[in-house]
Amino acid sequence: MEKTIIWYEIKKVFSQRGGKIALFLLAGLLALCSYFALDISYVNPDGSKLYGVEAARRLREEKRAWAGEVDAETLRRVVEENNRILSMPEAQGDTVLESEITYSRRQGFDDLRDLLNEFYAKGFREYDYYLADHLSPDQVTEDFYENRVKLLREWLADEDSGTDFTEKEKAYLVEHYEDLDIPLRYDYADGWGRLMEYMPSICMVTAYILAYLVASMFSCEYGLKADSVFFSSAYGRNRAIRGKIAAGAAIVTLVYWGIVLLYTGVVLGCLGADGADCQIQAYFAGWKSLYHLTNLQEYLLVAAGGYIGSLFFSLLTMYVSARTKNAVAAVMVPIFLTFLPSFLGGIQASLLDRVMGLLPDRLLDLHLEVRLFHIYQIGGTVVSALPLLFGIYLTLSALLAPEIYRVYGGSFRRNRAG
Amino acid sequence: MELTMQDITKEFQGFHAVDGVSCHMGKGVYGLLGVNGAGKTTLMRMLCTLLRPTSGAILWDGQDIFRMGEAYRRILGYLPQEFGYYPDFTVWDYLLYISAIKGLRPAAAKKRAEQLLKQVGMWKQKDRKMKKLSGGMKRRVGVAQAVLNDPQILILDEPTAGLDPGERIRFRNLISELAEERLVLLSTHIVSDIEYIANEILLMKDGLIVQEGTLEELLAAMPQQVWRCRVPREQVGEYLKRYKVANVKTALQGAELRILSSQRPARAAESAEVTLEDVFLYHFGEKSEEENGNSEGADTNI
Repeated sequence: MEKTIIWYEIKKVFSQRGGKIALFLLAGLLALCSYFALDISYVNPDGSKLYGVEAARRLREEKRAWAGEVDAETLRRVVEENNRILSMPEAQGDTVLESEITYSRRQGFDDLRDLLNEFYAKGFREYDYYLADHLSPDQVTEDFYENRVKLLREWLADEDSGTDFTEKEKAYLVEHYEDLDIPLRYDYADGWGRLMEYMPSICMVTAYILAYLVASMFSCEYGLKADSVFFSSAYGRNRAIRGKIAAGAAIVTLVYWGIVLLYTGVVLGCLGADGADCQIQAYFAGWKSLYHLTNLQEYLLVAAGGYIGSLFFSLLTMYVSARTKNAVAAVMVPIFLTFLPSFLGGIQASLLDRVMGLLPDRLLDLHLEVRLFHIYQIGGTVVSALPLLFGIYLTLSALLAPEIYRVYGGSFRRNRAG
Repeated sequence: MELTMQDITKEFQGFHAVDGVSCHMGKGVYGLLGVNGAGKTTLMRMLCTLLRPTSGAILWDGQDIFRMGEAYRRILGYLPQEFGYYPDFTVWDYLLYISAIKGLRPAAAKKRAEQLLKQVGMWKQKDRKMKKLSGGMKRRVGVAQAVLNDPQILILDEPTAGLDPGERIRFRNLISELAEERLVLLSTHIVSDIEYIANEILLMKDGLIVQEGTLEELLAAMPQQVWRCRVPREQVGEYLKRYKVANVKTALQGAELRILSSQRPARAAESAEVTLEDVFLYHFGEKSEEENGNSEGADTNI
């Protein structure tokens, strides 16, 4: 019986013009993000450029030649090759074409060249793009991984930056940095990189659209004056409400995973899924991350975070819809919660920054969160933001569902004379 | 099969919308007649457990309907005055959805929906969207949804409001058909709806049941007589002030009046047969005029 109710509740949502427009927007979002993610370029030896899937294929061939453990020997080869390329006449020129030709020769090991800039950086927050160009093979020593922990310690000891953390938190960060499994393994992983670049956009926009879709699920009975028939029916105060909640969760689950998996399939299908088991620290953007994850693990984490975030926003929207009987008020909630950090962003306060790190919008951009130092000392224990975000919003979502049931089940008892 | 109202009152911030109503109902069609604001909808919403009485009790076969909960709603069918629907659903989808929330299994629901759509003359329109239906068609679908679960208690709140005369007649016949073997409570302020189909009539005024009985009993209990007389046009105003006038019909060199009075209002006045409209006017005269000068309960066609 409830299956039929759920089916018709879903049909109610998608039979409306707004529901159809939302699906159209989601298709547009998928197309747009896929287009941008696949917009990858490869520079031919003559300096001309190739784009798209063919570019990815050639780049993959060149990068895979450098796949393997990131050790001193590999890095010395990178430095040698880089220096050889820099000694060529095109590297001395200053035209765009010469610059492109130079790049075409080193694009196969460009990721490792970027890592060199991190390995030998002078400060934790410093970055010099040309640092690798000034290295000689002799300077590549075996202890380059230790520089990561050393720079972190120095940064934490600094009077300006270090004051944001308690001693326990500092120890936690250092301990996590020391836990990194070395040597790292490198492989072509542009598929994962491009996939993750647009995942936050996919998660964020999908969460808004989902909130919009479910916003009228509870208020519509009142808005359409269908509440009397609904609440006077046998299941109107129990199973039908459960059916609405389940339909909302089903819409979130089906639409979210539908969009995310389609996007993943398109991007990885075109760019390749190589490097799934390589750690994110083996790439420039993930080098400083506190979380030791592989590319695949990060993707799963980001996708799961987006799902829990979307589910929480949708349940909150449904709750406001059930409480206020007003779809407009309901749909404003996720927008308000997402833009709140932007309004408060200008205020320089460490505590505020930490609180904002736990707002639900963070779940929609875990790709960034994984790269931030949001850690919290609760009592004597230090916890990073990720388990807290998952714990808080899974719990709140679990609490919201029965609360929606309770609030909506009692909402028909309004005082209206006739 | 007995629905009992025991001294029920519903108060809204000091205003008594329903004021100590007591009543017993069994199988048959009950007409609840009263002007707008008499408390009919409040009473019906309480019978549908959508509102709780401030005091008093409503019993179904001796059991409190609010305690019965789902068991009571299983035997209830309700067509509210403001019948809301899902505009983008087809008629078929709408009925199957309502069947689901009424607890009908899908196979039984399809069978029942087909049977009812044929009965209310909407089978050919089953694939039309609800928003594309005329007012009369929507009402017919409304009745169909109310009886989907074959309810023992069928509550219809102003089911003929807004319908044209032809639709209203068809609708009355439909209700009569559906009324067999159940308790039907029909509220209206349109006298003719009740006159034709109700076995028992309840007159409701200011939250109270002021009179109840069969049509014959109500007519017999009318404390005033009904008179028909022709008066010069310039005297019509004077008669309207002095008497309750059920009808004013323009005639040659004057007007023909239908007057409610204990005494003969004019020497030439002839006694006329009492109708339910006269009873309605006797009880609700001023209110119905205030409410709408052209109420069907008291036509004043000068």
